[in-house]
Amino acid sequence: MRMTFRGGVHPKEQKALSREIPLRTYDPAGELVFPLAQHIGKPAKAIVKKNDPVLVGQKIAEADGFVSANVICSCSGKVKAVEKRRTVSGAMTDCIVVENDGQFTPIEGMGERQDISRLTAQDILARVKEAGIIGLGGAGFPTHVKLAPKAPEKIRWLIANGAECEPYLTCNDQLMRSKADGIVEGLEIALRLYPNAECVICIEDNKPEAVAAMQKACQGKARFSVRALHTKYPQGGERSLIRVIAGVDYPVTMLPADVGCIVVNVGTAYAIGRAVAYNEPLFSHVITVTGEAVKAPANFIARDGTSFAELLEAAGGVKDGVTAAKALTGGPMMGVALSTLDIPIQKTSNALTLLADDPVAKAQAQMTPCLHCGRCSTVCPNGLVPALMADAIDLKNFERYEKKLYGLECIACGCCTFICPAKRPLTQMFKQTKAEIMAQKRAQKAGGKA
Amino acid sequence: MNTRFNLSAGPHVRDRWTTAHIMRLVLLAMLPATVVGCVVFGVHALLIVLSSVTSAVLTELLFDKLTGRPDTWKDGSAAVTGLMLALTLSGTVPLYIPILGSIFAILVVKCAFGGLGKNFINPALAARCFLLISFGNAMTEYGVDGVSSATPVAELAAGKVVNITSMFLGTANGVIGGSILALLVGGLFLWCLDVIHGQICFSVLGGFTLFMALFGGKGFDPGFLAAHLCGGGVVLGAFFMATDYVTSPMSRLGQTAYGLLIGVLGALFRIKGHAADSFSYSIIVANLFVPLIDTYIVDKPFAYRKGAMALQRGEIKKPLMQRIPKPVIALTVIALLAGLALSGTYSLTKDTIDEQKQAASAAAYRAVIPDAETFEYNNLAVDALKGEVYGTDFGRVYINEAVVGKNAAGEIVGYAVSVTSAEGYDGNVTLTLGVNTAGKINCISYTELHETPGKGMLCGEPPFMDQFAGKQATVLTVGGGDNSVDAITGATVTSEASINAVNAGLDFINTQLKEG
Repeated sequence: MRMTFRGGVHPKEQKALSREIPLRTYDPAGELVFPLAQHIGKPAKAIVKKNDPVLVGQKIAEADGFVSANVICSCSGKVKAVEKRRTVSGAMTDCIVVENDGQFTPIEGMGERQDISRLTAQDILARVKEAGIIGLGGAGFPTHVKLAPKAPEKIRWLIANGAECEPYLTCNDQLMRSKADGIVEGLEIALRLYPNAECVICIEDNKPEAVAAMQKACQGKARFSVRALHTKYPQGGERSLIRVIAGVDYPVTMLPADVGCIVVNVGTAYAIGRAVAYNEPLFSHVITVTGEAVKAPANFIARDGTSFAELLEAAGGVKDGVTAAKALTGGPMMGVALSTLDIPIQKTSNALTLLADDPVAKAQAQMTPCLHCGRCSTVCPNGLVPALMADAIDLKNFERYEKKLYGLECIACGCCTFICPAKRPLTQMFKQTKAEIMAQKRAQKAGGKA
Repeated sequence: MNTRFNLSAGPHVRDRWTTAHIMRLVLLAMLPATVVGCVVFGVHALLIVLSSVTSAVLTELLFDKLTGRPDTWKDGSAAVTGLMLALTLSGTVPLYIPILGSIFAILVVKCAFGGLGKNFINPALAARCFLLISFGNAMTEYGVDGVSSATPVAELAAGKVVNITSMFLGTANGVIGGSILALLVGGLFLWCLDVIHGQICFSVLGGFTLFMALFGGKGFDPGFLAAHLCGGGVVLGAFFMATDYVTSPMSRLGQTAYGLLIGVLGALFRIKGHAADSFSYSIIVANLFVPLIDTYIVDKPFAYRKGAMALQRGEIKKPLMQRIPKPVIALTVIALLAGLALSGTYSLTKDTIDEQKQAASAAAYRAVIPDAETFEYNNLAVDALKGEVYGTDFGRVYINEAVVGKNAAGEIVGYAVSVTSAEGYDGNVTLTLGVNTAGKINCISYTELHETPGKGMLCGEPPFMDQFAGKQATVLTVGGGDNSVDAITGATVTSEASINAVNAGLDFINTQLKEG
């Protein structure tokens, strides 16, 4: 019996395009752009100004408030401007633009092995925060906040997420294959925060090489184990993993820590290790450039701030005779469509996927009214009934949506939209409705206070 | 790079299944039953299927064109409705029935309510009910089966005996989509592909069986339950109609409740109401409950269900049923049921069959000696035959029973015998023959006749049967002369078996009863 969760879908994996391509470091030329809001929470505050000299690993923007994260420069050179640039969200947001001198001169002491044996939990969290580490799985939640639950002694499982259930993506696969020891080092540091926890490294069973590499790295470590999970989307979702490891379904009103779990992406774990043990803050990470429209799909260790366009050129550009219909940052299930590639990669960018044809455009032509077939409800990993939720939205019955159908439990994984034979944009409706209901609640709360 | 890319919200890939794809699978699943129906009922059944499907599709096409709507006929849902309707019709209905039914289903029940996904009752079943109410006679004529022209389910309701084997295979009297075996193959195929929801079809079957066992009057008699499950569209309803997406609830809990409702109502209607069509009505009634069910009976998300937080660490064990691959379950079910229906069931009901034969005969005697008040069984003469073949000129003919009919005053008014010829085209032909004191045949009546529909079965129809009435002879011949009857074209075997049985009966009356 393979370990998995309930529901889920099996999109075409397409990982073969890039899964055997080893990691390659790419150093960009020209200007690099660092958005101040790369994470969940308040945007960081810029602490450099025009013409300031900067170095690799230098903090150029500082966390503003508790849930926020530092921004680290990934090149050496001179600040060109602090201005609005187009970013992943499609909007113009505040960015620090740095003119790269091509030297990549690091700050002093970066990359040197540190003595970490005497570090307290506070020291570790402080170093993680200083390094600007956020969740690299895609959500971008500041890691120093995530790692500091109210009761660390109640944490039973530190779950390292190497599931990589998104189709196309191979960045974690390659990272685990070549940096297994680094990942385990990071996890060992994180594990020091939770005296009663053990670490489980979760990998989908379509990555046997990664499983073997991680098993080797964990050998002889008492508190470590590796689990090969059934390949099914969204296996790498936080709730899916917790369901498998802790056997618990918890509502959105609770955090993983409330059920004794902390989930970190393997990329994040690696970054923790580098930051704490080698004094190397987070300014680069693995990013897969893939898709049917890419000439030579690749897995890069790329520096933040590099433009997607430049990275695509490094991967050979668009395949001859093919027009790229769609560009995504991330995979096709939860990734965000980009209108142009002239935007910077940021900490949460784990892939650039270039699709040769756009299934969504095709789906729009095939759209029919809802058949009430219930397939959406069969695949929902949270046990919701998306078709009824959509009906409630059509009728503007938000109370039913929230109270009877538990619509706010939707994690926008996209399974229902993927499976829908009528090709209805369900996830989109739910995201929008959730945002509206949350805004309404905030307004009510504010009104109540006044 | 200056290229602009398509923008849309995620997910950016879609499953290859479309509405049309699902409809094609449903059509494919109905194919086995359609083929069996067409083989059993002949070309006319094929014409019914074709006219039903064609008129359904054409109606939607015309509606689309006239109202300027998108071409929804292409999605195949109209064809599904048309075929489904055809499967619920008798193989002998005139062609205007499927045509009118399909037009009603598509135009009134589906399109007028907003088209695909908007109808609140199953269009095919609504059309069937419309036809039943409007054309009662044409709709309830189910071929012929000798004594009473009724479907096996009507016979069951009347306490008579049915042949479960022929019901299972689809050769019994009934609707085109009557082959349980073929329906199971198609239905379980859809279930294996996750096209239909197991919680609906299995709760329908479960609810029906349980209610029938508790209140059907026969308890858990497997033969009785199997006969009810095989008849009257229970399987067709459970797998193809109750599972109709649009008119069934969407959450698992709701689907289970809805399935049970159909099963219970179907059994209730069958016991207390119009037996043959109980399932059509129960599904339609349950359809009307669907909006209510969807409003009030909705699954909670996993996190809010009982035990969500209490599960222990470790591998999650699925219930046994879910660990076995669906196709394995499906094949096992089909094999088991087929074996049961073909061998075991007959013996389970054999006692009842003998009992029923006698009861049927008593009614038959009254029919063939109308003047008689009381019947005296002449067992001596019959027992003397020791159950061996009677005479030498009649083929393998057996005398079952002989009675002397008397009026209120105690005077003999006629004689009757029950005769079986073992030389029918498809087994035994048993008939009851009544003769008055002057030696004139009153009439004959079949108590056992299961020949080919449209051929041998025609022997049980008035044109053939009526030929015997009024004949005064010791031996009847085929074709020409006063003492002859005309055989049914294409059913000479059955005709001759009948005539032989009559001749044997006449001989027995003349030589044994009158003398005795």
